Amino acid sequence: MVQLLGGELNSKGIDLRKALSRIKRSIWVYHINTGSCNGCDIEILDVLTPYFDVERFGIKLVASPRHADLALLTGPITIKTFSKVYRALNAMPRPRFVLAIGSCAVGGNIWFESYSTLGGFPKALEMFSEMGLEIDGVVYVPGCPARPEAIIYGAATLLGLQKPKTRYRRFKA
Amino acid sequence: MVKFLKILPIAIKTGTVTIKYPYQEPLITESFRGAIEIDPNKCVGCGACTRICPPKALTMTIESNTIILKYFVGRCIFCGMCADTCPEKAISITKEFELATGNIFDLYADVEHEVKTCPICGKTFITRKLSDKIISKVPDIPLETMDLCPDCRRKETLKKFIGVPE
Amino acid sequence: MSSAIANSIQLLMEVSSIISKVIEFNEKVFGIEQRNGIVRIKIHRDVLPYVAQKLATTKGIYMRTMMASDERDLEGVYRLYYLFGIDREHINIVLEVAVPQEDPKVPTIVDIIKAADWYELEAHDMLGIEFIDRRLYRLVLPEDWPEKVYPLRKEYSVQDLMKLYRPKAVEYAKEIGAENIVVIPIGPYHPALHEPEFFEVYVSGERVIDAKYVGFMVHRGIEKLGENMKYDQVPFLAERICGICGFVHSTSYCQAVESALNTDVPERAQFIRSIILEIERIHSHLLWFGVALHLLGYDTGFMHSWRIREQVMVLAELLTGSRKTYGINVVGGVRRDIDNDKIRKAIEVLKNVEDEFKKLVEISINIPQVIARLKGTGVLPLGEAIALSLVGPTARGSGLDRDVRRDYPYAAYRYISFRVPTYSEGDNLARTLVRVDEVFESINMLYQLLDKVPSGEIRVESWTVEPYRLGVGSVEAPRGEVIHVLLTGRYSPYRWRVRAPTYQNLPAVSIMLKGVDLADVPLTIASIDPCFSCTDRAIVIDIGRSVIKTIPIEFLSLKGSKAIR
Repeated sequence: MVQLLGGELNSKGIDLRKALSRIKRSIWVYHINTGSCNGCDIEILDVLTPYFDVERFGIKLVASPRHADLALLTGPITIKTFSKVYRALNAMPRPRFVLAIGSCAVGGNIWFESYSTLGGFPKALEMFSEMGLEIDGVVYVPGCPARPEAIIYGAATLLGLQKPKTRYRRFKA
Repeated sequence: MVKFLKILPIAIKTGTVTIKYPYQEPLITESFRGAIEIDPNKCVGCGACTRICPPKALTMTIESNTIILKYFVGRCIFCGMCADTCPEKAISITKEFELATGNIFDLYADVEHEVKTCPICGKTFITRKLSDKIISKVPDIPLETMDLCPDCRRKETLKKFIGVPE
Repeated sequence: MSSAIANSIQLLMEVSSIISKVIEFNEKVFGIEQRNGIVRIKIHRDVLPYVAQKLATTKGIYMRTMMASDERDLEGVYRLYYLFGIDREHINIVLEVAVPQEDPKVPTIVDIIKAADWYELEAHDMLGIEFIDRRLYRLVLPEDWPEKVYPLRKEYSVQDLMKLYRPKAVEYAKEIGAENIVVIPIGPYHPALHEPEFFEVYVSGERVIDAKYVGFMVHRGIEKLGENMKYDQVPFLAERICGICGFVHSTSYCQAVESALNTDVPERAQFIRSIILEIERIHSHLLWFGVALHLLGYDTGFMHSWRIREQVMVLAELLTGSRKTYGINVVGGVRRDIDNDKIRKAIEVLKNVEDEFKKLVEISINIPQVIARLKGTGVLPLGEAIALSLVGPTARGSGLDRDVRRDYPYAAYRYISFRVPTYSEGDNLARTLVRVDEVFESINMLYQLLDKVPSGEIRVESWTVEPYRLGVGSVEAPRGEVIHVLLTGRYSPYRWRVRAPTYQNLPAVSIMLKGVDLADVPLTIASIDPCFSCTDRAIVIDIGRSVIKTIPIEFLSLKGSKAIR
C-alpha cells in the first residue's frame, strides 16, 4: 500500500505517480461542499462547461464517493459537516485524493477563527489521521474563488502534467 | 419531437470555444487581481497591511530578534486592500493564480525584518527600517531617545523635564 | 396615474391612523421618530401583537426582517427591531421592543405574520429571547451546542466561543465518524454529503404530501465575526455570504452604514454599483436557467446557457478585477473605476449575450417536454405569497409586484427607466419567464447605465462614525431583496443583521411542493433559486411503506423527463 500524506507529495513525486498509475484510466471526481459560499462550487461547474471542459482530461463528476478517485472539497468545513466529510472520504476507494479548492478549504479564509468552522482542510487532515483515515494525496488550490484555470492547474498538478511553481520564500528586508 | 434539434445550427455556428489551458493562454483580463508580491527592499515593516487584511492572511510575528511579515496565500482573498494601504508601495498585485501545490508550507512567504531592542528593558518594539524612516522623515526628532521603547522613552523624557523618576 | 397617487395617499393616511392608534396606548408607546425614511416607533412589549396586527392587515405593508440585538451594556435591555416596509413608499417602519434582561420574554407574532417564524427562532437561538405561546426549537445552532450559551450575546467573544464549543463538537463528530456504520447505498446512490442543506420530502407513492426543510449547515457565524472587524473589512466578509450574489451583500452593507451615518456617495460610484449589480444579476439568472434545464434533463441547453454566461464572467473580471466576489465596495463608494474603453467592450459583450440568449430561450422554452415539466407544477397562489412576505422572482411569478429597485430606489436606479416583469400563474413556468425577462431587462438597464455614467469621484475621502445609529440597506438580489440592518459601533458594527432572500422564500417551498409529482420536486425547489449547490439532494420518506432514501436531486428529475419521453 502506498503511504503518501499531503505534505510529502512533492518530495515523493515518483511515489505519487506510482500510486496514480493504479488508476488505469480517467479520474472520477466527487464534489463535497463543506459550507462554502458557492463561489468555488459554481467555478467547479464552470470547469465542466464548454469554455474549460475538463473532460478533456477524462475527469468526470460522479454522484457517489464510492465511484470517485478524487474529492473536490470546497468550504472551511463547518462543524456540522465534519462528520459527513469523514464518511464521504471514508467511502472513497484507495488511492483517494483530495483537491482542496479555494481559500476556505486551504486556510479557512475569513472564517478561520469563527466558532462554527474548523478552518480549512489541513486542520481536518490532522484529525483524519488521528481517526485512522488515510488520504493518499492532497493538492491545495488557493483562490477566492479559485478561478477555473486554477482548478485545472491543480488537477494537472495532481496528474503530474505540471510541476507546482509555488515555493516557500523568505526574504531579508 | 425534433424541436430540441434546433440548437444544432447554433452549435455548428459557434464552433469550439474551449480554451486549451494549460497548453494555451488562460482567459485572464488586464484588471485581474492575483497573488500579491511584497518587495522586501521597500517594505519597512510598519504593519499597516496586517491591520487592513480582512482574512488576516498577512500577519506579523516576533521570532527571537526578528520581526517577520508572513504572507499566507492560502488564506488570501485577492482583494488588494494591502496594496492600496501600503504607505511605501511595497506591495504589488500580480496576475499569478497558478498557486496549486501539494505542500501547504509552499504557500507561505516571509519577509524578515531586523528589530530594534530597547537598551533599558530589553523589549523588542520596532523594525530598524521603520525607525530609520521615522528619523529621516521627522525633523528635530530627539535622537537620543529613539533607541528606547515607547514606555522607557516616556520615562526618560519625563526624567529630563521634571528631573524625578516616576 | 392619478389613481396610483390617490392609493398612496390613502396608504399614508392609513399608516398615520395606525400611528395615531398606537399613540392611544400612551403609556405603552415611548416615542416616534423619523429620519431618512425610517419611522422608529418604540413600543412596550405587551402591545407588540396589537401593533403588528394593525400593520400586517394594512394592504401594501409587509414584514421585511427582524433584528434582535444585545444592548445590555447601553441600556440594560435586549432590543428587537421589527422592520416593516410599505410597498412603493420608500418608508420603513421599525417597531422597537425593549426586552428586560432579567425576564427576556416577548409575545409571539407568528400567528399574525407567518414570516416571523424563523426570525423568532433565530433570536431564541442566538440571544436566548423567549417567545411566549409558541413552540421553540433549535434552528440555526447545531444540536449539540451547549445549553444557555448564546453566541450573539456580548459577553462571549469569538475566541471564547471557539473554546466553549469547538473541542466538544469535534469529539462528537469523531464519535459519529468512527462508529464504523456500514452505510448501504440504495441503488447507485450514496447518502453522503453533497449539500449543506436538504429537504425531507414526505411522499405517498409518487405524490408529495409534505416537505420539511432541515438545514443551516452553512452557519459560519458571520454576524458575530462582523462585530469584530473594522468597517472597511466587513464588505469583504459580507461578499462571502454568498458566492453567487456577493456584490449584493456588500452593497447592502455599505448602504446600511451610509444611511446610518448620512454619508453621500458620489454619483459615479452609485452608477458603478448599479452596473456591477446588473451584471451579477445576468450571470446569476443565466446560471439558474442553465441549471434548471439541466434538472429537466436538457443538458445541451445547460451547456449553451453556461457558454453564454462565460462572456459575462469575463466582463465582470474586466470591470472589477475578479470573476466573482468582486471586492470593489467600500463604505462611501467603490475602489475600482471604469474607463471608456471598458464601457465600449461591455456594450459589445452585452449585445452578443442578448442576441445569443434570445435564440437559446426561443428554442429551449418551446420544447414540448420542457413546457410539460414547467407548466402547472409547483403552483404558489398569490394569497400565500402575500402571507409569507415573499420577495424577488418567486413573488413576481405569483403576481406579487414587488421590486426593491423600484420601491426603495438605491444606487443609480432612480436615473433610469425599466419595467418589472410579473406573471400571475405562480407555477414553475411563470418563475422561469420572470427570470428570462429580467435578463433582457437588465441588459436594457445596462445600456442606459453605461451611457449615462457621470464623471467625478468614485469614493468619499473620509467619513466619521457616530455610534448607535440605526441604518437599513436593501438591495434587489437576483433571488429577491436582501436587507442589512445595522447599529453602528465606534470602530466596528455594534450589531449587524443580514437577511438573505432565500431565508424569506424557503418556507414557500413546502407549499409549492404539496401535490406535485416526486420527479418535479427538484425543479420546484430550484424554482425559488436557492443557492444551488446547497440544495442538491432530497430525503424521500414514503409514508405508505416507510422507506427512507436519499437521492441526488438530478436523478429524481431525470426520472420525470424519461416518463415524458
